[in-house]
Amino acid sequence: MNFLIIILLVTSLLLTRVSRLKTAVTIILIQSFMVALACGIDGLEAGAVHMYVAAILTAVIKVGLIPYALLNIVEKLQYEREDHPILNVNSSSVTACIAIVLAYGLIDQALPGANSRDALATALAMTLIGLLIIMTRRQAIMQIVGLITMENGIYLVGLSATKGLPLIIEMGIFFDVLVAVVVLVILTHRLKLSGMSTDISRLKKLKG
Amino acid sequence: MGELLLLALFFPLITGLLSMFQNKVVTIKSLNLVGSSMTSSVLAVIVFRISTQGAFLNGLLYVDSLSAVLLTVVAALGLTSMVFSLSYMEKELVEGHITIKMLQRYYGLFNVFIFTMISVLVVENLGLMWVAVEATTLASALLVAFYFNQSALEAAWKYVMVCTVGICLALLGTILLYYAQVNVVGINVQALSWLELKTIASKLDPTITKLAFIFILIGYGTKAGLAPMHTWLPDAHSQAPSPISGLLSGALLSCAIYAIVRNLIVVQAVLNHEFLQYLLIGLALFSIGIAIPFILVQHDIKRLLAYSSVEHMGIVLLGIGISTPLAIYGALLHVINHAIAKSTLFYLAGIITQEYKTKHIMRIRGLIRTMPLVGTLFIISILAITGTPPFSLFISKFTIIWASFNDGRFWLGAGVLFLLAGIFAGMMYYCLEMVFGNPGHNISVGKVGKPALWSIFFSIGLMIVTGLYVPFWLHTLLIKAASVIMGGE
Repeated sequence: MNFLIIILLVTSLLLTRVSRLKTAVTIILIQSFMVALACGIDGLEAGAVHMYVAAILTAVIKVGLIPYALLNIVEKLQYEREDHPILNVNSSSVTACIAIVLAYGLIDQALPGANSRDALATALAMTLIGLLIIMTRRQAIMQIVGLITMENGIYLVGLSATKGLPLIIEMGIFFDVLVAVVVLVILTHRLKLSGMSTDISRLKKLKG
Repeated sequence: MGELLLLALFFPLITGLLSMFQNKVVTIKSLNLVGSSMTSSVLAVIVFRISTQGAFLNGLLYVDSLSAVLLTVVAALGLTSMVFSLSYMEKELVEGHITIKMLQRYYGLFNVFIFTMISVLVVENLGLMWVAVEATTLASALLVAFYFNQSALEAAWKYVMVCTVGICLALLGTILLYYAQVNVVGINVQALSWLELKTIASKLDPTITKLAFIFILIGYGTKAGLAPMHTWLPDAHSQAPSPISGLLSGALLSCAIYAIVRNLIVVQAVLNHEFLQYLLIGLALFSIGIAIPFILVQHDIKRLLAYSSVEHMGIVLLGIGISTPLAIYGALLHVINHAIAKSTLFYLAGIITQEYKTKHIMRIRGLIRTMPLVGTLFIISILAITGTPPFSLFISKFTIIWASFNDGRFWLGAGVLFLLAGIFAGMMYYCLEMVFGNPGHNISVGKVGKPALWSIFFSIGLMIVTGLYVPFWLHTLLIKAASVIMGGE
């Protein structure tokens, strides 16, 4: 478990440093794979069937379909890179580290003595780092990656706090995540089609 | 009853699916008219049965008087918005703004959107409700981006991003609430069922519940367009096709408020009442207040209406925050009234922008000369939305402010009245400019479609009737729903 947690933190920290979109998608693929693994291992320990199903669903949707859709669109965006994020990479990494410390502090405050302290803190840190990426990155694909990181973090909170949610709710959540990414990919594709850059910060027609 | 609920979920889905495969405009139109009337009639029957027989529970489906109030909104707006769409979208097609493929997509997504909103209101589980609320965002996102031009894409991107991040926080809150539940009863089959949560509410851990509710309020508050999380709202409302703006503003925001209220019912048993009241009233005042500058200085007719929605969601939350039975009664009545009035205004704005080919308030002048009927209806609706008698919004706003004075909150009531006066001034100023201003150049105006006018007449009729007299069944339904929010059965 500890090994998984370390890899998850490393992937989240790496995300604050990438500028190539393809690398970012690969990192998110590895991260989602670790989340699926964590879910499977937890299910093995608890002997709960519904967690195997959840692990398989995570693998199919977050390791399979979503990265596939993202890689597909990234292929078409050859000239798009995250070169000048709103917060530069070094500051982003430092902020992400602060987020990790903050997450530990929050968990110790809100849920003192929780038996999965490290997992909970990592999960919360991932949520915060995901939010950081959404707020400070210009590229559409990077914002989607941030959203998935955030979602992975929240999923991990559920996994470590309550052994996941009931299966029917979890299936609904997976479906929503999948559709959300599909909708965002369609929007990105349309941005590209209409000859615009997929740099979201250039979209500022609507004001007031 | 269970069958009726399944039918209400089934009709929009099947109508949407069939619309995707029709190539003739006439077929699509009649199919959707029939489908939408069937959905709304089934919903009306459900509301009637709930008001006479009481709550209904079957597995994961649950409807009580509170859901019935919201189902009334979806039934009314689903129908008026569909009828208005018939002529609005046909005109878009004739003028060459959209193709038949886009028309199929429009009706397909429209029906899925209705389906997701009904699902929010009929599930008996906070987790599934979350899934349904997120689904409403996704179904409506492609409707906001419908024209796929730069502004529409910008609005849709902002909409999906802001709302999904917001709603992820609500998921975090929901998981925390589940954690609190698990600590009391262990992992069982009743996970996140709110009837179950309500019975064990007093045993929940107050710290975790408080944290959970704050996340939930921020999350669903984003969806409900409460300031300061409202930033997506004016963009999405102004870029979506007008019938969809009406649905977003009237029905979707109300559904998000419903999600907040369902969580509130659970947590109010364990949290400090004063804390909750300060939180809700503070958020409400901020939403009303922040709308004023944007309404006073506005250049876009649909954004004007969108900011007014932020204000009205603030008023609804104010009623819920004051939390006396009278205030909650007023808030629920206001949900219905706002939905009908605001959707009518968006329909009218749709007609106006279609004829003037601009959303710019400066360029819309002399409605009373170019389109006398539409101009008159527009003035009537603006008077209604700002809370002038004899329209129904006067009654609900009056009730909420009366409840605030009654509860000994003199300054709150007076302050809100003052803010409302400011909003009235802004809305009236722009309305009069648009209606009585000098058109300057000649504007050729086409004929307004019959169905569009019918749906507007129907809505205005409802506003006047309920303004003069709240029907008895609605009155009892609202009283029962208010007692549900207060923590009763």
